Amino acid sequence: MSLSSIARLAGAAALVGMSAFAVQAQTSGEPIKIGAIVSATGAGAGLGIPERNGMLLAEKTINAKGGINGRPIKLIVEDDASNPDTALSKANDLLFSQKVVGLIGPSLTASTVAIGGVTHANKFPQIAFTGIGPAVEKERKCLAHVLPPQKLNAQALLEYARSIKATKVGVLHDAGYGNVVMAEIRPLADSYGVKLVAVEKFEVGATDTTTQAAKVKAAQPDALFIIATSATPFRNVKQLQMAQPVVAAIGSSSYEYVNAMGPGADNVVIPEFVVGEDPLPHQKAFVDLYKQTYNSTPKNFEAAGWDAVHVMAQAIGKAGPNATPQAICDAMRGPYSGVLANFNFSADDMTGIPLSSFVFSKLVNGKYTRTPFRIAQ
Amino acid sequence: MTLSLVLQAVFAGVTNGMVYALVGMGLAAIFKGSRVINAMQGEFSVIGAMTTVLLLTKAGWPYPAAIAGGALAGALVGAFIEVAFVRYMAKKNASEDSFLLLTIGLALTLSASILFFVGRDGHLLPPLGGEGVLIVLDAVIQFHALWLIAIGIGATLLLRAFFHRTTVGLSMMAASIDADGAATTGINVARMRTFTFVLGGVLGAAGGILVTPLIGVDYQLGLNLTLKGFAAAVLGGLTNPLGAAVGGLTLGLVESLAIIGISSSYKDVVAFSVLIVIMILMPQGILGRAGRRGG
Amino acid sequence: MTSRLFWIAVALAVWAVLPFVVPRNIADLLVFTGIYSIAGLGIGLLLGHCGIVNLAQATFYGLGAYASAYCTVMMGLPSAVGFVAGAVISMALAYVIGRPILRLTGYFLALGTLALSAIASALFFEWDWLTGGTLGIGGIPKLDLFGFVLDRPSRYYFFVWIVAFACMAVARNLVNSRTGLMLRAMRDSSTAAASLSIDLQGLRTRVFVVCALFGSLAGSLFAHHASFVSTQSFTVDRSISFLLIPVIGGATSIPGIVAGAVFVTFLPEFLSKLGDIHQILFGLALVAVVVMLPDGLMGAVGRIRAWRAARRGGDAG
Repeated sequence: MSLSSIARLAGAAALVGMSAFAVQAQTSGEPIKIGAIVSATGAGAGLGIPERNGMLLAEKTINAKGGINGRPIKLIVEDDASNPDTALSKANDLLFSQKVVGLIGPSLTASTVAIGGVTHANKFPQIAFTGIGPAVEKERKCLAHVLPPQKLNAQALLEYARSIKATKVGVLHDAGYGNVVMAEIRPLADSYGVKLVAVEKFEVGATDTTTQAAKVKAAQPDALFIIATSATPFRNVKQLQMAQPVVAAIGSSSYEYVNAMGPGADNVVIPEFVVGEDPLPHQKAFVDLYKQTYNSTPKNFEAAGWDAVHVMAQAIGKAGPNATPQAICDAMRGPYSGVLANFNFSADDMTGIPLSSFVFSKLVNGKYTRTPFRIAQ
Repeated sequence: MTLSLVLQAVFAGVTNGMVYALVGMGLAAIFKGSRVINAMQGEFSVIGAMTTVLLLTKAGWPYPAAIAGGALAGALVGAFIEVAFVRYMAKKNASEDSFLLLTIGLALTLSASILFFVGRDGHLLPPLGGEGVLIVLDAVIQFHALWLIAIGIGATLLLRAFFHRTTVGLSMMAASIDADGAATTGINVARMRTFTFVLGGVLGAAGGILVTPLIGVDYQLGLNLTLKGFAAAVLGGLTNPLGAAVGGLTLGLVESLAIIGISSSYKDVVAFSVLIVIMILMPQGILGRAGRRGG
Repeated sequence: MTSRLFWIAVALAVWAVLPFVVPRNIADLLVFTGIYSIAGLGIGLLLGHCGIVNLAQATFYGLGAYASAYCTVMMGLPSAVGFVAGAVISMALAYVIGRPILRLTGYFLALGTLALSAIASALFFEWDWLTGGTLGIGGIPKLDLFGFVLDRPSRYYFFVWIVAFACMAVARNLVNSRTGLMLRAMRDSSTAAASLSIDLQGLRTRVFVVCALFGSLAGSLFAHHASFVSTQSFTVDRSISFLLIPVIGGATSIPGIVAGAVFVTFLPEFLSKLGDIHQILFGLALVAVVVMLPDGLMGAVGRIRAWRAARRGGDAG
């Protein structure tokens, strides 16, 4: 081949490449790298996979609309395998080798606190898919949370119990997540007129909770709180022919748990944020887009992924093209109206979700419906 | 603490205990026939249950056929593992720890494969006897649980008869106790070992299929079942299927009685402490005599 | 002889330079390798020289980590106190539990240690006033050596590995001493050993206590590295990981322990670049190593050396 024909070929190829770009979006220049860590494998996969789906959809959408001030964003997603040590390694890699400007994730509290040490010490902005955890997180002013603190979850459960006039409540909870929420429920119960007549615990990953459920049944409560990331207690409660209404925490809301609850997925109310079958007006666009892209119905964690990327992108846009991570962090701290909820990242709990953002869904024969109950504020 | 609560605890304890017993029996059968501790016994249960679920829901097979398919899957995977890995390692005189590590590696691989190929959802199967329950003094037990207990007892007795009365069973025991001696009497040692794994695979799969209508199956179930099954088997003396049944029942009952007698928070602590005490006080395993082949 | 010293010098030089030339996350993994080597060393001693499968190491790892966390964060004491407290508690527990449990043998003992690990894990969850439960204890300070703060992997690396080398020296001495001889006698034929009036129980308990000490040190080092500890890091799964280390590497050799620790730390990291399938690949890699290298990685090295020596001898002859 002669030199001139090679040049012509190259020129043609460049034209084709550029026109493909022109059809998609007018993004150009060096992509802005944003790091993300989720639990795509291991025990947290039920959280991490939907979060990742939401994030990738957000990335696509943002780039199709022109990126951030014309520059495309590039999401680099890593898997921490539900292990905080791995999360730490991945964070080091993303922040120092891949040189991302900010970090999104992880999915589990232990990983968040572990990584938080690094992002805080080096002043990187981080948006976590967990509610604020131990006390040390309050000092980490660059670590935002897009899921509610456990205290808020506790309040939502108690608000609903009060609204159905349940004065005696029995609780079935797991030793991990359940313990944390219980610690918040106990001091608040009295102020909602609720007496905790039975509180029974089972280990994370328990294959059977029948005996614990039987103890709760014996205390004859008006309503049941089930706080777990497993379908087992729901099934056992049904098998024991317990007819009380069940109020569950958001951790049980994913479809994989609902499908495994079998007949137990009935008369269960969950304080959450996104009911894909009947979304709030401001959530409809996201739900439709997600259904179109992935052919499945999104819920809370997908929406959290979507919101997190948008929050980070907006902050980067505000801080400017060559901003330092600290500047992006400062730009992030303010109110934001997301699909999942209304946030305020300058609040003390670095989340700022008000109780009024909660939507109370109800499982009826295995299907989600949205109850009209909202908490007035 | 009412009688009703105690009875409920007994129901739950016996049901769970029988689940542990089924897994433990498979473990004991494999150990008896090959002296390999199968850390992936719980995965056989998951494979059997998942196969049945897929055949039933995706391929639309009738339930009995799907169950047979699940059991067959367990058998085939068991045979494959023996032929592909165990036989090779046995020829090279691998240590017992190496075999344990092999099965641990296989367990990790299988659990991750199920997450990858089937997904993270939990799945249920239709219970035998429908959703019906038996209520005694306010304590509830599902018909399916009663079926599970009955089938478990039947399987235990059948297994015992198999090992002590049939030629194949006796040959399997002989081959594992003394391979050379067995070979001289014309027993095909390698084939016996394959049968052992097939037997373990079928038992595991059956356990999984029986348990799924009660507790659901997902990619994480395997390890839990293996640990409990291991405890059941060791308590029973490790080579005695009847012992595994007794060990499993003991474990299940200790757990549920601890929940009502002490507190649900300390269930694991109590159950495992009792386990340790039993092992120290009964060094021959719960069934004594020829039981302590694990030492 | 000198060629051996030469290679040791080369290895030391590489070791000293490594954290400065690799990217930060690799340096981070090298720190973990050091920590896991220490924990795996104890298991290796029990496995390789006593024939005991110890599935309780996560307990002592956890005790060391929580002791360091609690002493520094909740009580504001200097880090050294945490290390010592963890070590003392672990060794005491190992002695008290060890005496009765170590009377068991074979799979009974393995189950006993597994039960211990399960009990400890349950208590770590339950006693959340002490351990912080799932939320854990965060904000553990980095180690401070007379003003020189070990706040990045490249600095902490040296501290961890020096502790590791010290532990290896202790292990080596134990193995090469009279005690080591008695241990191997006990492993190979306990009846013969007993007939020589060797106190089997005392011996096994002693090694179990040393194993617990190593586990606790590893845990304290981990606490100061991750600055955060929570129950998820100390479950039965972790005990199983620690068991993998000496078995993969070759339980009777100290370089084998390091090789096993490298395998367990680095392989998942490299495989994760391949997407969600990485967990499956790790399991397969484990199976492959076990099937093809029955004496572990070091066993394979040994066999290559023997094969080459035989070839050389063959050519010369």
